[in-house]
Amino acid sequence: MKLFARQTIALVKLSFIELWRRNDVFALVLLGLALMVPLSMATPFGAEGASRYLDEMALLLVWGFSLFIALGAGQRLFPPEFESRTIYPLLAKPISRGRLLIGKYIGAVAASWSALAFFYVIFVASVLLRGGTFAAELPQAIVLHFAFVALAVAVSLLGSLIVTASANLSLSALVLVGMFFFGRRLPEYAEGLNPALAWVVKAVYAIAPHSEFFDMRQRLVHGWGAVDGVVFFVVLAYAVVYVSILLSLASFVLGRKRL
Amino acid sequence: MNAVGRVSGGICGVALVWCLVGFCDRDVERMPQVVKGEGALAVAFGDARETISQVFVHKADSYFHGGIDMECDHLAGHVHADHDDDHEDCHDGHYHDEAEHGSFDPWRWINSHVRAPDVHRHLGGSETIELMPWFWASVKADPHNIEAWTTTWYIANNMMKDRALALRVVAEGLEKNPDDPELLLCRGRTIYDNGRGEFAAAREAFLAAVEAASRMLQRGGSAEERIVQVRKFAQAYLDEMAKREARQ
Repeated sequence: MKLFARQTIALVKLSFIELWRRNDVFALVLLGLALMVPLSMATPFGAEGASRYLDEMALLLVWGFSLFIALGAGQRLFPPEFESRTIYPLLAKPISRGRLLIGKYIGAVAASWSALAFFYVIFVASVLLRGGTFAAELPQAIVLHFAFVALAVAVSLLGSLIVTASANLSLSALVLVGMFFFGRRLPEYAEGLNPALAWVVKAVYAIAPHSEFFDMRQRLVHGWGAVDGVVFFVVLAYAVVYVSILLSLASFVLGRKRL
Repeated sequence: MNAVGRVSGGICGVALVWCLVGFCDRDVERMPQVVKGEGALAVAFGDARETISQVFVHKADSYFHGGIDMECDHLAGHVHADHDDDHEDCHDGHYHDEAEHGSFDPWRWINSHVRAPDVHRHLGGSETIELMPWFWASVKADPHNIEAWTTTWYIANNMMKDRALALRVVAEGLEKNPDDPELLLCRGRTIYDNGRGEFAAAREAFLAAVEAASRMLQRGGSAEERIVQVRKFAQAYLDEMAKREARQ
């Protein structure tokens, strides 16, 4: 157990260093500032005082950037190790493939969470600078967003073991973004389709990762209040179960992979 | 790549450029040479601006409903304690849906609790300033979206009670759409201010609205019925003003 903890901590450190050394986060923050600063200076029709649109845009950027970071972190866990053949010394430590997978996953999630926390610090600072206050639902929104990031890293990790990098990033982004915006409407879309296609859409609705469950942006922006405790834990349980399934599949694929 | 490959690639590249130049040269003549509107947005997006403009109006509508998308698909099965009668049908439909299917959909249950508020609340008074950025974006995307201009005016004039803002909105709208009868009517209504405003300037605006509507009706168009109503409305204001003056 102690060994596992030490190995995991080493892998987490590695992921942290890799993410923050790449400067992706800073580039994204600069991009966000470049978009948000002119927006915050806008006075539509000379009227001042509107702030919800700024919160919404800022949160949309935080979501987009966190997805970008998470997918990248998940994708970079194994393929570079295979290409540079550094997977051999890693496995020769000795460390089992399953443990390596879990350790690397935890590292990637922790690194992505650190980037997300950084984005949220900037978001909250921008709200406070504009004279706003902490929303009561903010902690819940952040926790659910963290759960989403964990899910996105798992999706990307599994994809990285099956398809090429570009295909994985495109497909993972397509699925997660598609579900984020259209997931809840899939049953309605299925109603107007022929039975075979409707069945496919319903199957996608049943098994695809429902990233929209974690989206509390509208609650934050419009002050709807916190989500009911039971629902909150159901969504977290959904994330845990989904991530477990994805990691099990990834472990299975990695176990059968010829190195 | 060997020499043969490079030469073949070069030939293919030249052929492709030649085809493209020929195609463009031929089709440029057939393409419309005038773009509706002005500025980079008009050139880049063309008629798609109308759709983009409507998207922003839709967004403003959702803000007015406290962040709820009034397509209201995600509200199914969720209880709204303080709900408008206007939208009951929509929600009722969803309740029946759920009952008809007779099956519990856990994903829908989660969505209905995470993505819908417990209480449906409309923005009112000064809060409606939150709608302004979206309407501003809407009219920037399509300056000829008269409905967006008039809705913005309505919010400034009737909900925010900010006459100066309402007049600014109408002035900007008229700058982009000179002689539009609906905007002239809006300007008249703000200046008239339910009989408390400046009569002379209001009369001028109403008369301009009646004349602009008449000119538009003579030209004909798809929004004929709407313009008839605008003319009637402006004329009714003129009649009311005449009566008031006769009484005084």
